[in-house]
Amino acid sequence: MSSPRIDLAANLAALAAGALLSLMVHLNGEAARQGGALFSSWLAHGTGTVAALLVIPLWWRAIQRSAAPRAAIPLWAYLGGFAGAVTVIMTSTAVNSALALSGTVALGLAGQIVFSLAADQWGLFGIAKRRLRLGDAIALGLIVAGSALVIWGSL
Amino acid sequence: MIEAVVLAFVAGGLVGVSRQLNGRLAVSTSALFASFCNHLVGFVLLTAIGLVIGGLVSDGAFSGPWHIYFGGPVGVVFVALSSWIVGQIGATRSTMLIIAGQVLGGVALDWALTGKAVSPTALCGIVLIVAGVLVAQRQRASTAN
Repeated sequence: MSSPRIDLAANLAALAAGALLSLMVHLNGEAARQGGALFSSWLAHGTGTVAALLVIPLWWRAIQRSAAPRAAIPLWAYLGGFAGAVTVIMTSTAVNSALALSGTVALGLAGQIVFSLAADQWGLFGIAKRRLRLGDAIALGLIVAGSALVIWGSL
Repeated sequence: MIEAVVLAFVAGGLVGVSRQLNGRLAVSTSALFASFCNHLVGFVLLTAIGLVIGGLVSDGAFSGPWHIYFGGPVGVVFVALSSWIVGQIGATRSTMLIIAGQVLGGVALDWALTGKAVSPTALCGIVLIVAGVLVAQRQRASTAN
């Protein structure tokens, strides 16, 4: 399905996306400091919608050309933003409990990893099934251990 | 306490659900379109929640520095990238590499913003993360079956 070159591009894109995520968290944190978590997320989704509209020329043709007939796209596929927005509410509640930020982040990462393993195992939500390989399990262990050390070493 | 633990864990799972749904939409349309839908749907929902519970925009909420308006646009690029990635290399590898990039990027950003030296413990963590990324890169993503 995927060639080694696409694999490499996707791996690098994932690393870059992660770095962008840190930048985003920093910027949204600045907004939250002034207006709170709900305001920050609302502002980010609003400015993001505007930004995506400004680059319509980049995606309009692609969706016109897309092979799948509109009717073949399940309605639930449009609800990614719903899950994302609910996440904000849940994490901003958890962060104000005894878990604090580090506990919320650590449990959140655990939840993400457990979900992703299940998603690949059963091909959840229409994305192809994938078998977990030994190398992936080792890589996952190294990254989780390393992240724990970085978080612990930065407290 | 147990409620908070479940809440934080499920919130993490929902991050994965969101990526999976946007990835599914991107497969049939385009990654940027999936990111647009993600932000529009989230904005509508958060506006509705804000109207119901009130106090969405407090006094001085907009008084932050100019860059508070750029978290959203950066998020658009992030969601578009991850929507494409998940269809290419699957959820597990996407998740671990995004976490790796996030932690390494976070360390770099903290260092750039505060100039504080990276602790030896954190440095060991960075070495492990880089090793993990190299191990992941050494093998091809398993093909869909």
